[in-house]
Amino acid sequence: MMPGVQRQKALWRLVLLGVAVLGSVTAARAGGQMTFGDNTNTSANDGPPFFGFVRDTDGAAVGDARVTATVKSGGAVVTTSNSIGVYKVAGFAKSINPDDIAISCAKDGYKQANVVRRPNGSGDLKDPIEVDCVLQKE
Amino acid sequence: MRRPRCVVAAIALVFACIQAEPSLAQTLTGTVSSVAEGAMEGVLVSAQKVGAPITVTVVSDARGRFRFPDGRLSPGHYTLRIRATGYDLAGPKTVELGAGPADIAIKLTKTANLAAQLTNTEWLMSMPGTAEQKLPLMECMSCHTLQRIVRSTFNTEQFVPVLERMARYANNTIQARVQMRVAPVKINTAVVAKLAAFLATINLSNGPVWNYELKTLPRPNGRATHVVITEYDLPRPTIAPHDVRTDRDGNVWYSDFVENFLGELDPGTSALKEYPIPVLKPGFPTGSLDLEPDADGNLWLAMMFQAGLARFDMKSRTFQVFPVDGAANDNAMQQSMVMPRSDDVDGKVWTNDVARHAIMRVDLKTGKYQRIDPFQFLPKGSSHAPYGMAADAKNNLYFMDFGDENIGRIDAATGAATIFPTPTANSRPRRTMLDAQGRLWFAEFAANKLAMFDTKAETFKEWDVPTSYSYPYDVFSDKHGELWSAGMASDRVLRFDPQSGRSVEYLLPRPANIRRVFVDNSTDPVTFWAGNNHGAEILRLEPLD
Repeated sequence: MMPGVQRQKALWRLVLLGVAVLGSVTAARAGGQMTFGDNTNTSANDGPPFFGFVRDTDGAAVGDARVTATVKSGGAVVTTSNSIGVYKVAGFAKSINPDDIAISCAKDGYKQANVVRRPNGSGDLKDPIEVDCVLQKE
Repeated sequence: MRRPRCVVAAIALVFACIQAEPSLAQTLTGTVSSVAEGAMEGVLVSAQKVGAPITVTVVSDARGRFRFPDGRLSPGHYTLRIRATGYDLAGPKTVELGAGPADIAIKLTKTANLAAQLTNTEWLMSMPGTAEQKLPLMECMSCHTLQRIVRSTFNTEQFVPVLERMARYANNTIQARVQMRVAPVKINTAVVAKLAAFLATINLSNGPVWNYELKTLPRPNGRATHVVITEYDLPRPTIAPHDVRTDRDGNVWYSDFVENFLGELDPGTSALKEYPIPVLKPGFPTGSLDLEPDADGNLWLAMMFQAGLARFDMKSRTFQVFPVDGAANDNAMQQSMVMPRSDDVDGKVWTNDVARHAIMRVDLKTGKYQRIDPFQFLPKGSSHAPYGMAADAKNNLYFMDFGDENIGRIDAATGAATIFPTPTANSRPRRTMLDAQGRLWFAEFAANKLAMFDTKAETFKEWDVPTSYSYPYDVFSDKHGELWSAGMASDRVLRFDPQSGRSVEYLLPRPANIRRVFVDNSTDPVTFWAGNNHGAEILRLEPLD
């Protein structure tokens, strides 16, 4: 496995772990979603998730930044980076080409300086896609 | 034209004078005590005049004293009722109010049937099991209390057909009237089997008593006793007031979730008018859910399985209906929500297509519906469900994704959707209101939280509801910035100040299944209104501070 791919998978595991730890209290309270009806949610229908870091130009993490994943054909998902600058956007429909998803970030007092999309070295289309966002203080 | 106005004004004046006549107003005061506790705080004392549809409730203070507001009870024979978990009313059970004030000593005895007094929240607190195992019981409370489950004797095998039968009931079912869905329902047998196995561990299938301790919430104290609650009984048990709101004249309007009427209650006289909503699909479940005013103050109703929207003209007191047009109006078609607040902007009203988890909007000139799938770019098969709605000044739509964990926005001009996941996963946001500052207040039903989404900054804030397993259905931000909320589980109304974090929970006199909540900001203090969806009554709660 290529070092870049290893790094990306390790980072993704880190993000999932972070989300799990941060969300453990909530999950214990809210529990899973289960109703009488169908639960047709299946990863087979998912495209790859997006994740990444929001940092400033000095490399420091930027929390509470608004991260927007815009779909070229219309629509968007907006989320927020956590205290260590990590954001995560769950997968899009399998029919959406991941290359048609544009990531941008914003926060009061900053302007977007750069967006870095890490290459998917494995070629597996289900692998999470890392897109980092750099903000510059205004 | 002037003369009749003068006559009407004169009659109104005479009527007002009669209403204000002090000789008709009585004061009822007293104490509440028991052998076990002596003077008791937080006991709800209710008085209902025999033959009248109104019950007034006050709460005893730290010294065990209670006082009905001057002028609230007229002379007559009253039945008394109490609510204090763990106790029954020993006496007196009636009181005669005459010309002068009355002071009575109410005595309570320990109950022999604590289980009968437990709220849904207290059952959920008491029963063993994981949060995930208990979560499906949220759905049960839509039609009945958890008493029905925990008192049953079904084993796992016997529970399966019961659950499968109930899964075929329409949402607008209550115990007084079951309504079946016309469209077939696909049942997830694995989910049913898992739930059946759990339910058989918490009911009486293994013996005559529960094998777990029955836990109760504390009685109200302090600020939670400073309240007057009025219940207006509706004339039939099949009336299910779902959404309630007042108009400029102080009259109370409600949607009836089971019968096809719009209700108007005069809280001064308790006179009730019911306006029949046209039946669009005979043989399909009746009843409406969302009740919202449009830009002109006319009321709109989401017609559920009758498949369409109804506009009620407040001047002519007549309906105009907008049936879902074309082939889309199949047996599963259902509109639970309507959002006409900014229909004057573009002549369009928002609604939802429950069965297809989609948004719709109707063009009021043509009557044509447009369907928008706000989740089309998300993974297929996800459990989305557009529910509570609000519209901004440009008629852009904000909606709650009750099936999942998102707030959605649809641009009125382009139809493009933006999805904002809530900070808490699996939150299931339910009903909402948009305030003048562009803040969307909403209840996170499954997360047991109240939340705010700032539509300008696109940021969230969340607050835990103080009592676990409350499952808030809705929230209303009043003129002071305080939040009011309630739901189907705890029989309590929550008042919460998001600035200070201070909260108070007012216990209600009877089991209450509350959906939409409404606050009348024209009074000071404000007045809280809601319907008791399973109790055929309208609830008015007046805080005394």
